[in-house]
Amino acid sequence: MSKFIALKEKYPPGDFGIWIIIYVELITFGLFFIGYAISRRTNIEMFNSSQLMLNQTSGFINTFILISSSYLVAKGIYTMRTMTQDNIKESNTKASKWLAFAIVCGVAFLFIKISEFYHIFAQGITLSTNKFFMFYLLLTLFHFMHVFLGTIILFNIRQRTKIAGYTPDDYRGFESGASYWHMVDLLWIVLFPLIYIIR
Amino acid sequence: MKMKIKRTLEYVWIFLVILTIFAYLLGYLKLISTSLVGVLLLTTFIKGALVSDYFMGLKGVAGKYRFIPVIWLGVVIILIAIAYYLPVPATH
Repeated sequence: MSKFIALKEKYPPGDFGIWIIIYVELITFGLFFIGYAISRRTNIEMFNSSQLMLNQTSGFINTFILISSSYLVAKGIYTMRTMTQDNIKESNTKASKWLAFAIVCGVAFLFIKISEFYHIFAQGITLSTNKFFMFYLLLTLFHFMHVFLGTIILFNIRQRTKIAGYTPDDYRGFESGASYWHMVDLLWIVLFPLIYIIR
Repeated sequence: MKMKIKRTLEYVWIFLVILTIFAYLLGYLKLISTSLVGVLLLTTFIKGALVSDYFMGLKGVAGKYRFIPVIWLGVVIILIAIAYYLPVPATH
């Protein structure tokens, strides 16, 4: 019977340690999101006018990029799960290609974000400009660091796929890195409408 | 079955892109209104739940682990909605 139609797994994919990290990250970002929403109530006009200075199009492109990269990583995991002892090399090669596209997406996200930060800082905006930009910079810089780390993790996983390092019995490291990357995507899915759209 | 799951990933990705375009157009065309914020938050919840279930692969995992990210998402979005819709006390 295929792994896909087997009974439900007892534990989430990847090492349990990565899930502890994911839960801590979700709680941390969650508190920031709620803090932003509550702070907005104290000066709605200032939050709305400051938000107009952001580039919604780059926010949208970055959302599209992260969703697509998450999809590409999920395809890589699918390749691992359908791997058999007879096609280890082919499956690793295929997963490597999916990861290469995902890494390109990660790098593209970072470049777009750097460009956005450059424009923001060029206008003399800092953490102390106002509460909106304090939250905007804290949240997006913190998230930026996660994308950077996630891209490095994907790069390392890809290096292992290039030497056919994953087998049907051992691809837990791949799953751990993939879970982290999906968390980065999940956080941005909330961050984008909250900071860029809602007013 | 494998083919079905393979295609599911494509469908989820397309649906996520459509919801993202919807959110972007609301902001870009300045169509966002008080009532549409609720719709936007609902679509955000749906997007997050799809990523958690299908991309993270938690749909195939036992209850408590599957629902932790979804509960996190639900709580955060409900609190954002409360902060948005609760009347702001008048200042003197």
